[in-house]
Amino acid sequence: MSHNVPENLKYTKEHEWTLIEGDVVTIGITDFAQSALGDIVFVELPEVGGNMEIESAFGVVESIKSVSDLYAPLTGEVLEANAELEGAPELLNSDPYKNWIVKIKISNTTELEQLMTPSAYLEHCNSIE
Amino acid sequence: MAAFAGYDMPIQYTSVKDETIAVRNGCGMFDVSHMGEFMVEGPEAHKFVDFIVTNDFLNAGENKAVYSPLCRENGTVIDDLIAYKLGPQKVLICVNAANIKKDWDWISSKTEGFDITLEDQSDETSLIAVQGPGSEAALKKIGLLSKGDFPYYSVSPDNFDGTEILLARTGYTGEDGFEVFCPNNKISNLWDKLIEANVTPCGLASRDVLRLEVCYPLYGHELSDDLTPLDANLKWTVKLDKPSFLGKNSLETLKPTYRLAKLSLEKGIPREGYPVLDGKGSKIGHITSGTHSVSLGKGICLALVKRSDWPEDKSFSIEIRNKVFPATYHTKPFVTGGHK
Repeated sequence: MSHNVPENLKYTKEHEWTLIEGDVVTIGITDFAQSALGDIVFVELPEVGGNMEIESAFGVVESIKSVSDLYAPLTGEVLEANAELEGAPELLNSDPYKNWIVKIKISNTTELEQLMTPSAYLEHCNSIE
Repeated sequence: MAAFAGYDMPIQYTSVKDETIAVRNGCGMFDVSHMGEFMVEGPEAHKFVDFIVTNDFLNAGENKAVYSPLCRENGTVIDDLIAYKLGPQKVLICVNAANIKKDWDWISSKTEGFDITLEDQSDETSLIAVQGPGSEAALKKIGLLSKGDFPYYSVSPDNFDGTEILLARTGYTGEDGFEVFCPNNKISNLWDKLIEANVTPCGLASRDVLRLEVCYPLYGHELSDDLTPLDANLKWTVKLDKPSFLGKNSLETLKPTYRLAKLSLEKGIPREGYPVLDGKGSKIGHITSGTHSVSLGKGICLALVKRSDWPEDKSFSIEIRNKVFPATYHTKPFVTGGHK
């Protein structure tokens, strides 16, 4: 199983990465997630302008063999969704850290404390194998 | 890996996409040793098998294979199987792993009055399906088929590593290919030799994509204890002109409840259980199997639709997570396999 866990990001148990730049947070799925899912063939993105709430489903990623909800790592408003993924969902397999899914404007900075550090996330991945 | 019918089965080895493409364009193999094998022997072996299946087995030529549902007297499907005419007094029946016990109980309860013996060889027999346009060359490369090749949907004995094995030119992918029945103690060696011959190992996920692309039914999905072959568009396997067979009386008069629809989506992936709607938005059926077709690059599915609700305008749509997506209706399988 793949374990590429960049140091500049924060993570969730649901295998999402977050890049925090002030109150704008970019969200994607981790290398571990794309590897576990296998060939990703469909991505359902949230609407720009809509709100997402921490731990609730905001989108869907489908591989040939499975359907997986994307869970919001933080609460906020969707600023951008990466529409390129709709036509080329396999980009999530080829480079999950370059190919982000959404950018949000967070509304509750205290939630940031719940995110996992790279070392904590790596430990989490090792524990499920 | 995943548990299935008491076996730990590989879902994928590397990538479902790559494995599917290997079978369509080259050669892939599946370890399907979990499947069941029953041997029927005796002077009335052909007659007995013809009696328990709905398709015509009696008139099939020597060494031929016949696909057929296995039905109860009321016409419902116990399983679907392939019966191989190995000799004048010998028939091999290959059944689904999840149904081995159910099939055995049923078949062994119907032997009275037939001069046959019946043996369950499932535990002693391993099975590798070598599939794809390159499968004949791959088998030749490892020393099989030395007596030459033989036609699609027939069988031929062969020899591997000093042991008699059975080659059947059958499969579940729509491509040319062979199912190699082999004693357990030789199967790892056979697998390793095929790996050396550059055959791609394939898991259950690509097997499902391949069979669905060519619209082969899967027991537990398009076929079940509650359905008849007529519900699953398998009328061609029910030979009502045979003098007698199990289920004949019911299947002669029965009006099927369902019809199987082949549907594709431009956007989204249809999955088992999703509702199928007509042009007015009324629910008329449900998806029995759905996936992303690797060959077509879009979502495909089979759906059981109530005959009474069948939309004559062929206007179908599929509901995915509370959204409705228009579907394209297909009269032919999504992919035409290259089998000979």
